[in-house]
Amino acid sequence: MAFGFKRTIQSKGPDRFIINLRDDLREVIAAVCDDVLAALDDENSPERDPMLRRVFPVAHASDESVNEAYRDLVHSDLLRTRREALERVSATARDTELDRATLETWMVGLNTVRLVLGTRLDVSEDGFPQLEPDDPELPAWALYEFLGVLVGMVVDALARTV
Amino acid sequence: MTSPVAADVAPVEIDEPSIDTNLGIDRPWIVLVWNDPINLMSYVTYVLQKVFGYSNEKAQSLMLDVHEKGRAVVANGSKEKAELDVFRLHEHGLWATMQQD
Repeated sequence: MAFGFKRTIQSKGPDRFIINLRDDLREVIAAVCDDVLAALDDENSPERDPMLRRVFPVAHASDESVNEAYRDLVHSDLLRTRREALERVSATARDTELDRATLETWMVGLNTVRLVLGTRLDVSEDGFPQLEPDDPELPAWALYEFLGVLVGMVVDALARTV
Repeated sequence: MTSPVAADVAPVEIDEPSIDTNLGIDRPWIVLVWNDPINLMSYVTYVLQKVFGYSNEKAQSLMLDVHEKGRAVVANGSKEKAELDVFRLHEHGLWATMQQD
């Protein structure tokens, strides 16, 4: 993140956004999208259960027939748009300028990563837990927080240019 | 963003209707968004604006309902429309369900 004087995401009108991010953070963005993409294909992945629960949720709280019909109707579309978003974010992570459609894809793609990560970390309303410096979950929490800040900035940039 | 499911929603009868659903077949469906600890408040507001074309004010008030009351009705209509709405909300990672009003 560009600590200092430049906004991380500068809007140059509603369809042009300048992304001021350090190269190492861009690599992180590409890597986490690639990780979730890989997890989508891997039936043994630890991310798979939270992903199914949270990224492909049920449509009805209790009616299994509605859920079955909904799943038949949309699951492949949902999976496809999900994959396309993650692939697009990964492919454009190193771009310094994005159009609006791509920035919206960043918003959705990065939020998907947050959902997977947050579900795995069992995030609650209490927010960041007290962790010892050597806690094995600390890097995942740091990543989750970073993505939260980034998604927030993407939303702000989009919302102020609606 | 496109809505690829729209073309598929149409006239296919998926379930054998039970007596209950027969009685309620014309009743409108509601679409609910549920509170979750992961999605940012600003994100939920923006998605509601984008998916439903709501004003910022309306989207924000729905988002606050979700946040404070645990859920809010964000749309209603036919079963097909509700399915499409739920799909678009799921595409954006919101926790949405549909039910007959």
